[in-house]
Amino acid sequence: MLAPLWAEGRSGSDSKRMKIVISSHPRLLHILRGVVTYRAQHAGFTPADVDSMTVAISEAAANVIRHAYKDRHDGFLALEILTLPDRMEFILEDSAPKVQPEAIRSRPLDEIRPGGLGTFFMNSYMDKCTFDEHFAKGNRLIMVKYLRGKASTNDESRSTKH
Amino acid sequence: MKVEVRNINQVSVIDCTGDVDLYSSTTLRETLLNLMRSGIPNVLVNMADVTYIDSSGIATLVEGLQLSRQTKTHFGLYALRRNAKSVLALARLDKVFAIFSSEQEALEKIPTTLPFGGL
Repeated sequence: MLAPLWAEGRSGSDSKRMKIVISSHPRLLHILRGVVTYRAQHAGFTPADVDSMTVAISEAAANVIRHAYKDRHDGFLALEILTLPDRMEFILEDSAPKVQPEAIRSRPLDEIRPGGLGTFFMNSYMDKCTFDEHFAKGNRLIMVKYLRGKASTNDESRSTKH
Repeated sequence: MKVEVRNINQVSVIDCTGDVDLYSSTTLRETLLNLMRSGIPNVLVNMADVTYIDSSGIATLVEGLQLSRQTKTHFGLYALRRNAKSVLALARLDKVFAIFSSEQEALEKIPTTLPFGGL
Protein backbone atom coordinates (compact mmCIF):
# COMPACT_ATOMS: atom_id res chain seq x y z
CA MET A 1 0.00 0.00 0.00
CA LEU A 2 1.77 3.13 -1.20
CA ALA A 3 -0.90 5.71 -0.45
CA PRO A 4 -0.29 8.18 2.34
CA LEU A 5 -1.16 6.67 5.67
CA TRP A 6 -2.89 9.76 6.90
CA ALA A 7 -2.90 13.52 6.85
CA GLU A 8 -4.63 15.96 9.11
CA GLY A 9 -5.13 19.66 9.58
CA ARG A 10 -6.18 20.73 13.01
CA SER A 11 -9.09 23.07 13.43
CA GLY A 12 -9.62 26.19 15.48
CA SER A 13 -6.69 28.22 16.71
CA ASP A 14 -4.29 25.50 15.60
CA SER A 15 -5.37 25.55 11.97
CA LYS A 16 -1.88 26.57 10.84
CA ARG A 17 -0.54 23.14 11.76
CA MET A 18 -0.82 19.98 9.74
CA LYS A 19 0.84 16.60 9.59
CA ILE A 20 1.21 14.15 6.76
CA VAL A 21 2.54 10.63 7.04
CA ILE A 22 3.72 8.53 4.09
CA SER A 23 5.46 5.23 3.76
CA SER A 24 9.16 5.34 2.90
CA HIS A 25 8.74 4.86 -0.83
CA PRO A 26 10.25 7.42 -3.21
CA ARG A 27 7.15 7.18 -5.37
CA LEU A 28 5.37 9.19 -2.67
CA LEU A 29 7.80 12.10 -2.47
CA HIS A 30 5.69 14.10 -4.89
CA ILE A 31 2.89 14.09 -2.32
CA LEU A 32 5.10 15.79 0.24
CA ARG A 33 6.20 18.29 -2.40
CA GLY A 34 2.61 19.09 -3.31
CA VAL A 35 1.66 19.74 0.31
CA VAL A 36 4.74 21.87 1.00
CA THR A 37 4.19 23.91 -2.16
CA TYR A 38 0.53 24.52 -1.33
CA ARG A 39 1.16 25.52 2.26
CA ALA A 40 4.12 27.76 1.40
CA GLN A 41 2.18 29.54 -1.33
CA HIS A 42 -0.66 30.25 1.08
CA ALA A 43 1.80 31.45 3.73
CA GLY A 44 2.91 34.24 1.41
CA PHE A 45 6.32 33.06 0.30
CA THR A 46 7.65 34.18 -3.07
CA PRO A 47 7.50 31.67 -5.94
CA ALA A 48 11.28 31.26 -5.76
CA ASP A 49 11.15 30.59 -2.03
CA VAL A 50 8.29 28.14 -2.52
CA ASP A 51 10.43 26.26 -5.04
CA SER A 52 13.40 26.31 -2.68
CA MET A 53 11.46 25.03 0.32
CA THR A 54 9.89 22.30 -1.77
CA VAL A 55 13.32 21.13 -2.93
CA ALA A 56 14.70 21.23 0.61
CA ILE A 57 11.90 19.19 2.15
CA SER A 58 11.90 16.68 -0.69
CA GLU A 59 15.67 16.27 -0.40
CA ALA A 60 15.37 15.74 3.34
CA ALA A 61 12.74 13.05 2.81
CA ALA A 62 14.78 11.43 0.05
CA ASN A 63 17.78 11.36 2.39
CA VAL A 64 15.69 9.56 5.00
CA ILE A 65 14.66 6.91 2.45
CA ARG A 66 18.16 6.43 1.08
CA HIS A 67 20.39 6.85 4.09
CA ALA A 68 18.24 6.13 7.14
CA TYR A 69 15.93 3.43 5.80
CA LYS A 70 18.57 2.33 3.27
CA ASP A 71 15.93 2.13 0.52
CA ARG A 72 13.55 0.03 2.60
CA HIS A 73 9.96 0.90 1.77
CA ASP A 74 8.27 -0.41 4.91
CA GLY A 75 9.13 2.53 7.13
CA PHE A 76 7.32 5.84 7.48
CA LEU A 77 8.03 9.53 7.21
CA ALA A 78 5.95 12.02 9.16
CA LEU A 79 6.10 15.67 8.13
CA GLU A 80 4.58 18.25 10.42
CA ILE A 81 4.17 21.74 8.98
CA LEU A 82 3.63 24.80 11.14
CA THR A 83 2.72 28.12 9.55
CA LEU A 84 3.62 31.01 11.83
CA PRO A 85 3.41 34.77 11.23
CA ASP A 86 7.09 35.13 10.39
CA ARG A 87 8.09 31.64 9.26
CA MET A 88 7.25 28.07 8.44
CA GLU A 89 8.63 25.17 10.40
CA PHE A 90 8.91 21.64 9.04
CA ILE A 91 9.49 18.71 11.37
CA LEU A 92 10.40 15.49 9.61
CA GLU A 93 10.38 12.31 11.69
CA ASP A 94 11.14 8.69 10.93
CA SER A 95 11.66 5.47 12.84
CA ALA A 96 14.88 4.45 11.12
CA PRO A 97 18.20 3.90 12.88
CA LYS A 98 19.90 7.10 14.00
CA VAL A 99 21.79 8.91 11.27
CA GLN A 100 24.89 10.87 12.13
CA PRO A 101 24.56 14.26 10.41
CA GLU A 102 28.21 14.21 9.43
CA ALA A 103 27.59 10.96 7.52
CA ILE A 104 25.45 12.79 4.97
CA ARG A 105 27.74 15.76 4.49
CA SER A 106 27.57 17.44 1.08
CA ARG A 107 30.44 17.25 -1.36
CA PRO A 108 32.66 20.23 -2.24
CA LEU A 109 31.04 22.05 -5.16
CA ASP A 110 34.27 22.13 -7.16
CA GLU A 111 34.20 18.34 -7.35
CA ILE A 112 32.07 17.69 -10.42
CA ARG A 113 30.71 14.23 -9.72
CA PRO A 114 27.29 12.66 -9.24
CA GLY A 115 25.72 12.85 -5.80
CA GLY A 116 26.34 14.71 -2.57
CA LEU A 117 24.07 17.66 -3.27
CA GLY A 118 20.92 16.83 -1.31
CA THR A 119 22.15 18.07 2.05
CA PHE A 120 23.70 21.08 0.36
CA PHE A 121 20.33 22.05 -1.14
CA MET A 122 18.62 21.62 2.24
CA ASN A 123 21.09 23.83 4.03
CA SER A 124 21.22 26.41 1.29
CA TYR A 125 17.50 26.78 0.81
CA MET A 126 16.36 26.71 4.45
CA ASP A 127 17.30 29.20 7.16
CA LYS A 128 17.77 26.48 9.75
CA CYS A 129 18.23 22.72 9.56
CA THR A 130 18.72 21.05 12.92
CA PHE A 131 18.67 17.42 14.00
CA ASP A 132 16.92 16.89 17.33
CA GLU A 133 19.50 14.83 19.17
CA HIS A 134 17.05 14.10 21.97
CA PHE A 135 14.49 12.42 19.73
CA ALA A 136 14.23 8.95 21.19
CA LYS A 137 13.08 6.75 18.32
CA GLY A 138 14.45 7.39 14.87
CA ASN A 139 15.41 10.79 13.53
CA ARG A 140 13.81 14.21 13.80
CA LEU A 141 14.96 17.00 11.53
CA ILE A 142 13.64 20.51 12.12
CA MET A 143 13.80 22.95 9.21
CA VAL A 144 12.80 26.60 9.33
CA LYS A 145 12.21 29.15 6.60
CA TYR A 146 11.51 32.79 7.42
CA LEU A 147 9.41 35.08 5.32
CA ARG A 148 11.68 37.61 3.68
CA GLY A 149 12.39 40.52 5.97
CA LYS A 150 11.29 38.59 9.03
CA ALA A 151 14.35 36.46 9.76
CA SER A 152 15.16 36.01 13.42
CA THR A 153 18.00 38.13 14.76
CA ASN A 154 18.63 35.43 17.32
CA ASP A 155 19.95 32.89 14.86
CA GLU A 156 20.53 29.47 16.32
CA SER A 157 23.03 26.85 15.34
CA ARG A 158 22.52 24.98 12.10
CA SER A 159 23.79 21.57 12.96
CA THR A 160 23.73 20.19 9.42
CA LYS A 161 25.53 23.23 7.97
CA HIS A 162 29.04 22.64 6.75
CA MET B 1 7.89 10.90 -15.51
CA LYS B 2 7.93 10.14 -19.20
CA VAL B 3 11.06 9.93 -21.36
CA GLU B 4 10.96 9.83 -25.15
CA VAL B 5 13.75 10.06 -27.72
CA ARG B 6 13.61 11.88 -31.05
CA ASN B 7 16.35 11.81 -33.63
CA ILE B 8 16.97 14.92 -35.68
CA ASN B 9 19.79 14.34 -38.17
CA GLN B 10 22.80 13.53 -35.99
CA VAL B 11 21.19 14.73 -32.75
CA SER B 12 19.23 12.62 -30.27
CA VAL B 13 16.78 14.68 -28.24
CA ILE B 14 15.50 13.26 -24.94
CA ASP B 15 12.10 14.76 -24.16
CA CYS B 16 11.54 14.57 -20.38
CA THR B 17 8.09 15.19 -18.96
CA GLY B 18 7.24 15.43 -15.26
CA ASP B 19 9.28 15.24 -12.06
CA VAL B 20 12.84 13.93 -12.12
CA ASP B 21 13.47 12.76 -8.58
CA LEU B 22 14.78 9.85 -6.53
CA TYR B 23 12.01 7.63 -7.89
CA SER B 24 12.07 8.54 -11.57
CA SER B 25 15.64 9.57 -12.31
CA THR B 26 16.65 5.98 -13.07
CA THR B 27 14.49 6.10 -16.20
CA LEU B 28 16.31 9.17 -17.49
CA ARG B 29 19.65 7.67 -16.46
CA GLU B 30 19.13 4.49 -18.50
CA THR B 31 18.05 6.41 -21.58
CA LEU B 32 20.81 8.99 -21.33
CA LEU B 33 23.67 6.59 -20.71
CA ASN B 34 22.49 4.14 -23.37
CA LEU B 35 22.39 6.93 -25.93
CA MET B 36 25.89 8.06 -24.96
CA ARG B 37 27.20 4.54 -25.37
CA SER B 38 25.43 4.04 -28.71
CA GLY B 39 27.86 6.25 -30.56
CA ILE B 40 25.40 9.02 -31.42
CA PRO B 41 27.51 12.20 -31.71
CA ASN B 42 25.09 14.68 -30.13
CA VAL B 43 22.66 14.29 -27.22
CA LEU B 44 20.28 16.97 -25.95
CA VAL B 45 17.91 16.84 -22.98
CA ASN B 46 14.73 18.84 -23.49
CA MET B 47 13.84 20.17 -20.03
CA ALA B 48 10.84 22.25 -21.09
CA ASP B 49 8.35 19.92 -19.42
CA VAL B 50 10.46 18.94 -16.42
CA THR B 51 8.29 20.20 -13.59
CA TYR B 52 10.77 19.39 -10.82
CA ILE B 53 14.33 18.13 -10.56
CA ASP B 54 16.19 17.17 -7.39
CA SER B 55 19.72 16.12 -6.53
CA SER B 56 19.08 12.63 -7.96
CA GLY B 57 18.15 14.17 -11.29
CA ILE B 58 21.15 16.48 -11.19
CA ALA B 59 23.37 13.49 -10.38
CA THR B 60 22.01 11.74 -13.47
CA LEU B 61 22.87 14.72 -15.67
CA VAL B 62 26.36 14.93 -14.15
CA GLU B 63 26.86 11.23 -14.83
CA GLY B 64 25.82 11.84 -18.42
CA LEU B 65 28.25 14.73 -18.63
CA GLN B 66 31.10 12.58 -17.40
CA LEU B 67 30.25 9.76 -19.81
CA SER B 68 29.96 12.23 -22.69
CA ARG B 69 33.59 13.15 -22.16
CA GLN B 70 34.61 9.50 -22.44
CA THR B 71 32.47 8.79 -25.48
CA LYS B 72 33.19 12.18 -27.08
CA THR B 73 29.51 12.96 -27.31
CA HIS B 74 28.37 16.58 -27.53
CA PHE B 75 25.91 16.95 -24.65
CA GLY B 76 23.59 19.78 -23.74
CA LEU B 77 20.38 20.80 -21.99
CA TYR B 78 17.75 23.27 -23.13
CA ALA B 79 14.56 25.06 -22.09
CA LEU B 80 15.17 24.81 -18.35
CA ARG B 81 12.40 25.97 -16.03
CA ARG B 82 12.94 28.07 -12.92
CA ASN B 83 13.43 25.11 -10.57
CA ALA B 84 16.07 23.49 -12.75
CA LYS B 85 17.90 26.77 -13.32
CA SER B 86 17.89 27.44 -9.59
CA VAL B 87 19.33 24.11 -8.46
CA LEU B 88 21.95 24.03 -11.23
CA ALA B 89 23.05 27.57 -10.39
CA LEU B 90 23.15 26.84 -6.67
CA ALA B 91 25.33 23.79 -7.30
CA ARG B 92 27.50 25.91 -9.63
CA LEU B 93 26.74 23.55 -12.48
CA ASP B 94 25.11 26.13 -14.73
CA LYS B 95 28.53 26.96 -16.14
CA VAL B 96 29.55 23.32 -16.44
CA PHE B 97 26.75 22.11 -18.68
CA ALA B 98 26.09 23.44 -22.16
CA ILE B 99 22.70 25.06 -21.62
CA PHE B 100 20.58 26.53 -24.40
CA SER B 101 17.40 28.53 -24.23
CA SER B 102 15.52 26.74 -27.00
CA GLU B 103 15.58 23.64 -29.17
CA GLN B 104 16.43 25.73 -32.21
CA GLU B 105 19.45 27.26 -30.51
CA ALA B 106 20.51 23.88 -29.15
CA LEU B 107 20.31 22.16 -32.52
CA GLU B 108 22.32 24.95 -34.11
CA LYS B 109 25.06 25.07 -31.50
CA ILE B 110 25.39 21.58 -30.04
CA PRO B 111 27.65 20.17 -32.78
CA THR B 112 30.09 23.01 -32.18
CA THR B 113 30.03 22.86 -28.40
CA LEU B 114 33.56 22.23 -27.14
CA PRO B 115 35.03 20.62 -25.27
CA PHE B 116 32.78 17.58 -25.11
CA GLY B 117 30.05 17.79 -22.53
CA GLY B 118 30.10 21.51 -22.01
CA LEU B 119 32.90 23.48 -20.38
